[in-house]
Amino acid sequence: MSHDDLFAGEKGVIATGEQLVADNSFSSPEDKQHYEELLKSYEKLFRVTRRLMRLSDQNEQRLNAAAEVIAQKNKELEALSTKLSKYLSPQIYNSIFTGAQSVEIASRRKKLTIFFSDVVSFTETTDKLESEELTNLLNHYLTEMSRIALEFGATIDKYIGDAIMAFFGDPESKGVKEDAIACVRMAIAMLRRMRELRSEWRELGAERPFQLRIGINTGYCTVGNFGSADRMDYTIIGNMVNLSARLQSHAEVDGILMGHETYSLVKDVVATDEQTPIKVKGFAEPIRCYKVLGLYDDFVREGQLIREEQEGFKFMLDLQKRDKQEAITTLEAILARLRE
Amino acid sequence: MQNLAIPATARTPAIDFDFGNNRLKLSGESYPEDVTEFYHPVFSALDAYLAALGPGSCRFDFELIYINSSSAKAVMMLMDKLDAAAAKGATVDVYWFYDEKDDTMQELGEEFGEDLENIQFHLEKTPD
Repeated sequence: MSHDDLFAGEKGVIATGEQLVADNSFSSPEDKQHYEELLKSYEKLFRVTRRLMRLSDQNEQRLNAAAEVIAQKNKELEALSTKLSKYLSPQIYNSIFTGAQSVEIASRRKKLTIFFSDVVSFTETTDKLESEELTNLLNHYLTEMSRIALEFGATIDKYIGDAIMAFFGDPESKGVKEDAIACVRMAIAMLRRMRELRSEWRELGAERPFQLRIGINTGYCTVGNFGSADRMDYTIIGNMVNLSARLQSHAEVDGILMGHETYSLVKDVVATDEQTPIKVKGFAEPIRCYKVLGLYDDFVREGQLIREEQEGFKFMLDLQKRDKQEAITTLEAILARLRE
Repeated sequence: MQNLAIPATARTPAIDFDFGNNRLKLSGESYPEDVTEFYHPVFSALDAYLAALGPGSCRFDFELIYINSSSAKAVMMLMDKLDAAAAKGATVDVYWFYDEKDDTMQELGEEFGEDLENIQFHLEKTPD
């Protein structure tokens, strides 16, 4: 339907009016003059209406065309930002895109829990592999570990070859204690997944599948953007970061070694075994460190531990360390004292 | 009479009424949030000027890039005022400038011109 069809009614009214004027069907010249003025005004109003309607339609077309261009540009930007996001930890990406974090050279002190993992004898393990095999293996390993890291809320700082550096507490934090617990839980989950992956890799023909060493430490770090205005990295620096890396290098194969600060935060949840303090460059005193044995909840579930905690009452029995009968005898003695 | 000069904004056109030299100009884009509020002082200044113009002559340049429907109505009202002054004896020249690639503004200018009975109307392309 064209604009002319839309206005057929109005055109009919004008044609009838013009015919009346032509036929001079008026009772007086004044009536005719008034009628002619009215008709002229109606004709003008009709033209204005038609004009404004067309202008409005044309403006809408322009707007739609502009909206299509913008939508296309948005799609391109979205695709580009998705590609770029792969180079950033999701938390960093999200905090930049939501505007929570400014992209400028700036840093601050914050208490974080830092995680380092490294593949034991990576060079020797992968020396015989072809480049493509090595790439697939390394990417598979990093993909699996990153998935777990993100699941637990870690900020992945960087991959250094086969090593992973991550931290908890920035840009998102659930509190220092919860962050430390999340970090240890994540490390345990990673080792568990590595055990599964090793059997998969063996089946695929890998002679010496990857094994890990993990170091965890909690302390004040400087966190923020470092670099130049053109190229910056969101990372952490400080003594505590170096200490985490040193703890990792002292960890047992497939083991987790953590510093005292982390230990004090997680000791209610994580079973540990204190190790001989280690000497670390830059630290005057030997560093107290703790081997992670597992989560108390897991031990309880597996029947290795009996644990009961209430206000003013704390009970824990490690059935791997204590003989069951001896434990019963001790408990009966306690009960006897209670009944006195 | 005091000239009227309103600088352009993202949504409103520039108004340059140089009454001393009888040169009036409206240019830019026009899609104000409130058309009445924006054009009210423009109408008032033009009414006062035209009332005093008598049989004198003036030139009004329209150099618009984009206008919405409400602004188009305001422009028609400006032209009606100019046409009425011309009917009373003033010599009024209206220049409608449009971008040569802009069919919308060209058509609009052509139609505005058709409505004017007493004004000298000039449709002019502005080169890119």
